[in-house]
Amino acid sequence: MSVPRRSKRTSRRWSALGVVLIFAGWEMAARLMGPMLMATPLEALRAIGTLAGDPGFWTHSRDSLARIAIGVGTGCGIGFALGVLAGHDARLRGLLEPLRWLLMAIPPVVVVVLAMLWFGLGSGMVIFITILMMAPGMYVNTVKGMRMIDAGLLEMGRVYRFGAWTRLRHIYLPALAAPLTAALLIAACGGVRLVVMAEVLGAESGVGYALANARSTFDSGRLYAWVLLILALVALLEFLLLQPVQRRLTRWQEPSHA
Amino acid sequence: MLEMRDLHLSFGPRTVLDGIHLDVRPGERIGVIGPSGAGKSTLLRLAAGLLRPDSGTCRNSFLRTRLVFQDPRLLPWRSVAANLDIALRAGGVPAGEIAARRDRWLARVGLSDAAHAWPGELSGGMAQRAALARALALEPDLLLLDEPFSALDPAMRADLGKLCADQARATGAALVCISHQPWELAGLVDRILHVAGGQVRVQAAAHA
Repeated sequence: MSVPRRSKRTSRRWSALGVVLIFAGWEMAARLMGPMLMATPLEALRAIGTLAGDPGFWTHSRDSLARIAIGVGTGCGIGFALGVLAGHDARLRGLLEPLRWLLMAIPPVVVVVLAMLWFGLGSGMVIFITILMMAPGMYVNTVKGMRMIDAGLLEMGRVYRFGAWTRLRHIYLPALAAPLTAALLIAACGGVRLVVMAEVLGAESGVGYALANARSTFDSGRLYAWVLLILALVALLEFLLLQPVQRRLTRWQEPSHA
Repeated sequence: MLEMRDLHLSFGPRTVLDGIHLDVRPGERIGVIGPSGAGKSTLLRLAAGLLRPDSGTCRNSFLRTRLVFQDPRLLPWRSVAANLDIALRAGGVPAGEIAARRDRWLARVGLSDAAHAWPGELSGGMAQRAALARALALEPDLLLLDEPFSALDPAMRADLGKLCADQARATGAALVCISHQPWELAGLVDRILHVAGGQVRVQAAAHA
């Protein structure tokens, strides 16, 4: 009796088929709903060409990218730093636990509404909520990773007189690579969605703002063009940046290269 | 010199060391035998500075104490060669000397061909040889061996035991080796301590 083969890698062929099915479903839905409610994939692609010629396109894209980079970067940085500290100190872990729970339980839209009251419209509000929403995920993964670090390796590091930098570089960071890159992947993709949502609700520039404008003028081609561009950005972040980094950092776990 | 005086140590209700005395002088090679749970590994961990006694004194004036653990404890995400390089760098070996020293010691434990392998690709015995090479390459003045040969076949065990003894003789290093089997210590140590119930019960000269 043959045993079914279980591959760890996601099959790219099947992923490509999944993309084709999504586009086919989109095409069918667009035809059923009509051009006012949903543009076809081809119309959306054509609208991207028109958008690229519009000077506002680059301003909106630049503003959103800056907010994503600052918000996700700062949020993940704070989450990582607090995670490392809390991983070492049970008292700090206890102290931060209620805040962690609060931030993970509260719906992002509530935070957006509150941040609009505190900061008004614009970049400050968008960046604030991105930091607030991204930090807990990174914190949780860092703490979990810290607690799973092999105590034997830390002991070996003490016996072999590893300094703080050597411990960080050769024990902590490699041991945390898998949970951290997974958390970064979730944070980067979640950050894009969050920034766009915050911009739809309360910004005067950015992709979300442009998306809201397209919706209010029933320009479904432009609206779906922005959606495609957002998806392309998430795909770029995931497949060209974060997954290769993750593969490089965890290549020692791959089966033998011999 | 390593001086242990009247060491007591308990883990919760369990007394592990109950008034141990031990002196290790430069160049001395000592074997420690005893049943499981007798406190042998704890003794080495105290000597390596990984534990503190509840009472008594433990003074270690050796400058380069290195411990080879029962398990290899290689960094799984670094190649075998990189594991040695990192330890040598952390041990203050000059940068220009690291590659030559690493290659020499990997050759001496028969792992030249595995220098670029991941530790996970090695057999248990090979990984333990790499761990031994990591310790010996640092030319310790006190080498602590916590049953490091238990995963090896008898021939390899004898070879590596001889390697450790030769290196200790050549550099004047002191050596303390734990084993369950007294015959494993033949040729490696000068003196054997029998530890049981957290105390040194018998000391005897070892015969090759």
